[in-house]
Amino acid sequence: MNGYGGNILRVNLTTGGITREATPPELARDYLGGRGFGIYFLLKEVPRGADPLGPENKLIVSPGPLSGMLAAGGGKCDWTCKAPLTGGYASASMGGHFTAELKYAGLDSIILEGVSSKPVYVFIDDKKSELRDAAEYWGQGAVDVEKELKDKFGEEFQIAVIGPAGEKAVSFAHINHDFGRQAGRGGVGAVMGSKNVKAIVVRGTRSVPVADLDAYRKAGMALYKACKEAEGLKEWTSYGTTIVVSWCDEAGALPTRNFSAGSFEDAKTLYGPYMREKIVVTDKGCFGCPCPCGKYSKVKKYNAYAEGPEYETIGLLGSNVGISDIEAVAYANLLCDNLGIDTISAGNVIGWAMECYEKGILTKQDTGGLDLKFGNIDATFKLIEMIAKKEGLGALLADGVKKASQKIGKGSEKFAIQVKGMEQSGYATHNATSMLLAYMTCDVGAHHNRAWAITYDIQVGREKVVPEKVARVIWLQNFRPMFDVLGACRLQWVELGIDRELYIPLLESITGIKRSWEDLEKVGERIWNLTRLYWVRENADFGRAWDMPPARFYTEAPTSGTTKGQITKFEDVNRLLDMYYEQRGWDSNGLPIPETMEKLGIKQEMVA
Amino acid sequence: MPAILRLSGSLKDVTGGKSEYTVEAGRSVRAVLESLGIVPLTVALVVVNGEQHTKDYIIQDGDAVRVLAVVGGG
Amino acid sequence: MRLYVDSKKCSGCNACRVACSLSVFGENNPKKASLVIEPHFPAPGEYIVRVCTQCGECAAVCPTEAIKQDAQGAYYVDFAECNLCEACVPVCPEGVMFVRTELANTAWKCTSCGDCVAVCGTSALWLAEVETETA
Repeated sequence: MNGYGGNILRVNLTTGGITREATPPELARDYLGGRGFGIYFLLKEVPRGADPLGPENKLIVSPGPLSGMLAAGGGKCDWTCKAPLTGGYASASMGGHFTAELKYAGLDSIILEGVSSKPVYVFIDDKKSELRDAAEYWGQGAVDVEKELKDKFGEEFQIAVIGPAGEKAVSFAHINHDFGRQAGRGGVGAVMGSKNVKAIVVRGTRSVPVADLDAYRKAGMALYKACKEAEGLKEWTSYGTTIVVSWCDEAGALPTRNFSAGSFEDAKTLYGPYMREKIVVTDKGCFGCPCPCGKYSKVKKYNAYAEGPEYETIGLLGSNVGISDIEAVAYANLLCDNLGIDTISAGNVIGWAMECYEKGILTKQDTGGLDLKFGNIDATFKLIEMIAKKEGLGALLADGVKKASQKIGKGSEKFAIQVKGMEQSGYATHNATSMLLAYMTCDVGAHHNRAWAITYDIQVGREKVVPEKVARVIWLQNFRPMFDVLGACRLQWVELGIDRELYIPLLESITGIKRSWEDLEKVGERIWNLTRLYWVRENADFGRAWDMPPARFYTEAPTSGTTKGQITKFEDVNRLLDMYYEQRGWDSNGLPIPETMEKLGIKQEMVA
Repeated sequence: MPAILRLSGSLKDVTGGKSEYTVEAGRSVRAVLESLGIVPLTVALVVVNGEQHTKDYIIQDGDAVRVLAVVGGG
Repeated sequence: MRLYVDSKKCSGCNACRVACSLSVFGENNPKKASLVIEPHFPAPGEYIVRVCTQCGECAAVCPTEAIKQDAQGAYYVDFAECNLCEACVPVCPEGVMFVRTELANTAWKCTSCGDCVAVCGTSALWLAEVETETA
């Protein structure tokens, strides 16, 4: 099948049986790939009410039709499962070179199902696939094991591996790859760990068939040419995502001391140019990327090499915990990568714990003697380790900030910065109503990448609550995640501002099917509604209350920084939701109505 | 000799697609952006003749000014 | 013309290798590329890229004279005349002469076509005249 590997690899860990099934052409036609395949298999195969850490949950990893191709950023794969962190939908995007290798091995999805009786890793070498004993790697760091497996099998093999946190089912455990790329959010690493799978090792040497070779080479080259000629390529590549640290600081969007403010007085040593000068040793690109945002650093102070840090990690494990030392942030990043936890959730939950400590809600007795003040670097390092190993206070935090705050109480729920149980990522939203709405309605919880709308807020008026803002968020939510469906990165379009029409002839030349962006946005809207209906299916009380933002953003204005005194009105939160539900074709409780489902071709039995 | 100001990416959306402007020397980048209807805070970087400057840079004759939009959200 | 590389600028993305396999074989498969990227991680955190210098050592040892020179002076493999003897592989000083029978029924190498240069976003690769040593 043109543009596809052609096979679904089903790995039954309970029986040890591995089968290859042909990828159904209608699945490729209707869901395209990536997170489209993910939600299809999740709804169809994981039974209602499945325990996220039990044998019924499945972990589905899928490249897309642009993965591994001459497609300027075709380096993304999607990891879908029921989320241990939220009890809802998890879809984590991972860059690097893993997705291309899956494609070359002839695979469009790997479905991990059941539970192995002992630690194993999945070994795939083209058509050969088997489970191998992972006893010697169990308990070891993700970065360390990747190195060992690379040394054992060679550079042609690509490896996705969990750390000790995934083995111990930390609810925000991640999957690590290429020494610093992750499937980060929602606890996908805990699901892999619950199945007793330490790693997936893959090599593929097959050529991927395309529909029209000449048109494909022409369209691929045109996309690269546009990227190379784009304004800002040089600056973007120099700094990657850290280009926005200074801007967020100026705009009041930089999460600071558990999102109590949006500017950090000591942020200057976290800015992109400072970091580049101080620690970066190389740019580190994902597969096929002409504008690599990935940075790789030598951290002299801690005698270590570490990926990044990139913007989110700087925001959450820097300013959000009051740390301004970029070397400490980079080292904290490495600790998280190796132990196997998501840096965003980690920095968020540690920020919450620090605020609890400073307010006297948690004491030294609770922290095991740690002086958990904002800015305490050693305490941050120690707490990361305690979370990954579920020791002491770390065991509480390992369940995520929502559950931890419910357990501790004493008003700490009000400053638990999460939506649907997922810790909010790196943008403070005291006064940015589109971005706030984006976080409230994101399909996995408070994550930024489906709709990134802060500059739109600033351009049209931050506090304004108007239908155009809601329409903008919905358009972004339908459009941006299509890159995760296609198996590509959206940053070439986002950062370099290249014409998105360039992807259209490329996709057609690869798959042989002509699709416009309008067509693709319809697929995006359908998937968005399917994921919504998954939440509804899994949670009897799902509705409007699940979309409410962290109370801090409508109750406590920052007392410092450029958004000092600014806040979102509570009635505006509800107005945003009213408008959003109406524009989405959902009822007043946020559930898709039958007419909307019919319009999108969603049958009741698909989501029952 | 006037200066040339070029806008990147999404900033063009605000100006209706136009990305290159000839501007007179003597005004700040900030003032020029405002006159084009662009809120200066939506701009991440100002690059003049290959070097980074602030939005308060006063444009000189013959400058090549590049203005990069803030973008994010991996 | 030959290919030059500044490994320090390489970010390891492999776009060059996809473009190469499309140029040499008309296939989307970087395992069939004619240049090599060696990642060195976690330490010291660098990519080393090896490219063909068009030195001609491969052509000199080819018993079937399958490795020929084009009008621009670049050596290429005439697939029809390669007998897979592998004599060319060990003599290549850069390790970019390939015989992998599980992938192709011929030896292959860089033809200095420049497609890799066209897709390299960090300008790590470029084509230039072969530098000749002066006496």
